[in-house]
Amino acid sequence: MSSSVATALSAPVPQRYLKEKKVGEGTYAVVYLGKQVDTRRRIAIKEIKTGLFKDGLDMSALREVKYLQELKHPNVIELIDVFLSSNNLNLVLEFLPADLEVLIKDTSIVFKSADIKSWLLMTLRGIHHCHRNFILHRDLKPNNLLIAPDGQLKIADFGLARSLGNANEDLSANVVTRWYRAPELLFGAKHYTAAIDIWSIGIIFAELMLRTPYLPGKDDLDQLDVTFRALGTPTEQIWPNVSSLPVYNALKVYAPPSKQELRQRFSAATEKALDLMISMTQLDPSRRCDLVKALLHEYFIELPLPTPPEELPKKTEKKDKEESESKRRKI
Amino acid sequence: MIDDERSRDMCPICKTDRYLSPNMNFLINPECYHNICESCVDRIFSLGPAPCPYPKCGKILRKNKFKKQVFDDLKIEKEVDLRRRISAIYNKTEDDFDDLKEYNLYLEHVETLVFNLINGVDVEATEQEIKKYEQDHKIDILEINMRESQKTSDLEKYQEAMERMKQEKLKIQHQMELEDLEYQKQQKQSLLDRLSSSNIDSDEIIAQNNSRVNKRLSMRKQQLQQITSQLEQQFENTNPLAQHAKALAAEMPKTPFTPFQGDRDLTSYYTLDNQYNEPHLAKLAKDKEYLGAGWRPEAVYERALDQAFMGLGCLVQREKA
Repeated sequence: MSSSVATALSAPVPQRYLKEKKVGEGTYAVVYLGKQVDTRRRIAIKEIKTGLFKDGLDMSALREVKYLQELKHPNVIELIDVFLSSNNLNLVLEFLPADLEVLIKDTSIVFKSADIKSWLLMTLRGIHHCHRNFILHRDLKPNNLLIAPDGQLKIADFGLARSLGNANEDLSANVVTRWYRAPELLFGAKHYTAAIDIWSIGIIFAELMLRTPYLPGKDDLDQLDVTFRALGTPTEQIWPNVSSLPVYNALKVYAPPSKQELRQRFSAATEKALDLMISMTQLDPSRRCDLVKALLHEYFIELPLPTPPEELPKKTEKKDKEESESKRRKI
Repeated sequence: MIDDERSRDMCPICKTDRYLSPNMNFLINPECYHNICESCVDRIFSLGPAPCPYPKCGKILRKNKFKKQVFDDLKIEKEVDLRRRISAIYNKTEDDFDDLKEYNLYLEHVETLVFNLINGVDVEATEQEIKKYEQDHKIDILEINMRESQKTSDLEKYQEAMERMKQEKLKIQHQMELEDLEYQKQQKQSLLDRLSSSNIDSDEIIAQNNSRVNKRLSMRKQQLQQITSQLEQQFENTNPLAQHAKALAAEMPKTPFTPFQGDRDLTSYYTLDNQYNEPHLAKLAKDKEYLGAGWRPEAVYERALDQAFMGLGCLVQREKA
């Protein structure tokens, strides 16, 4: 199928993009690496599979095109072009070689606190740009935070994104990958706000410090349990009206963790880092801080300063980095 | 095995057994590393240097050199002592070298010396070399020593101060918690008293009480904040590492940190009213399911106004140019 597409691609219009290598395949799309012919710029082409849906194109592809063509920010993936070839929709995206999940899992890389600060800062900036345009991402996780060759972090995968609609419109609670799902979503809320993205970022922040998923629930019910064991079971007192949410239940009541407990859990975090994380992972969405507050937080002003993007640890440089490391090691 | 354990628990000189005198201690002397119990050391060496009482050893030992054995394995004990001695003489750090290669060569050389001494290779020649080095570099060694001890003492002072501050904070917090508990008890009692004696509506009394408790709580929080910030200030002032921090600050780039990278329009074209006549939203604002999910009517108003003014002040022609 891919070869027929490649020929069809070259046939009608003068060829603008080259597909070079297939790098991945999901349920809805195949991803190729390639080049833009006239600029030699490296790109990724996402070819959406058609025919899966009787009534036309896949929703997530539509969402991705709809929102990405509106957003232009250094920390949001750039949609360069969209074209159609033999009835397949092709999205031309900028080429991003690594993602944050790979870096977190790579135990040979040491994260400095300045590195974590830098990644968090770039994530917040990217999402701030989405939110001020009233777009919710709804699927933030390390796997969707891609790293450009120059170290810039870019938010990708807008397949679940949506713009905040009318107030009386119902939103689906079944969004966001489970481990990064905010408590109001776990309770089936249908009128949530941008705060769900903040929660995800807070959990990613914790994951960057721990180097292991913070709240890894085995299934949706277990996710509730894990979340509340870590952060306390919400009650009407700390979260007014929580019991009116569609599937609210407080099976087990856990006490909220004290500051001391959190300090022990994140032993490397400074007081200000902890404070920012706590305000991003407030159970009550109306108490969770918004992006402007998060970006203005003192954590970003205190030393160490965020690492400049080009100096952040990178996956691709791993080999020669290891070499230089061993050279430096003292006998 | 049993023999071994028993021999370890018995002084070979006076044959005292740990089983019978449980507080006995063994000491060793880095000259020969033979185990001798404390009372024997006192007895034999308090009158001045004397030969080691072990048969066929006979090394002259001094009492002040005796020390407790740290490692179970004598080999390790010996090596640690040796390394301590060598590192006091060969005490250069990376800063003393122009490049990494030279430093590594130096480390390699030191390691060879240690290896030789431990494994008995050319012991005499090695000892000679060390002696010579020590004599040749006497002043250097002293200088480096002073420099390093200055560094570590600063760090120690800092850690000490940090620990003190932590303790102080905890103490204050604990004390305040106790006071709060006492206060709560009192409040409860007085509330019960008033409920039973007064003839005002009980709901009102409870509401009054709640508001008072909340007020006090927020006041206490402020108080605590103030105290901790005071402590921190104090700590900063006495911080011996403050100089280093200042030096670090001087190295910082002169351009200030910009959270939004200049990408934020702070001009506001409107002010949000407290109340808008919008019956539909007013109804939703009472819906607990909406409120529980974090939804607020203000956000809707804000968005509507934001969008109404969006793009104003953005001059396309100028941005293109």
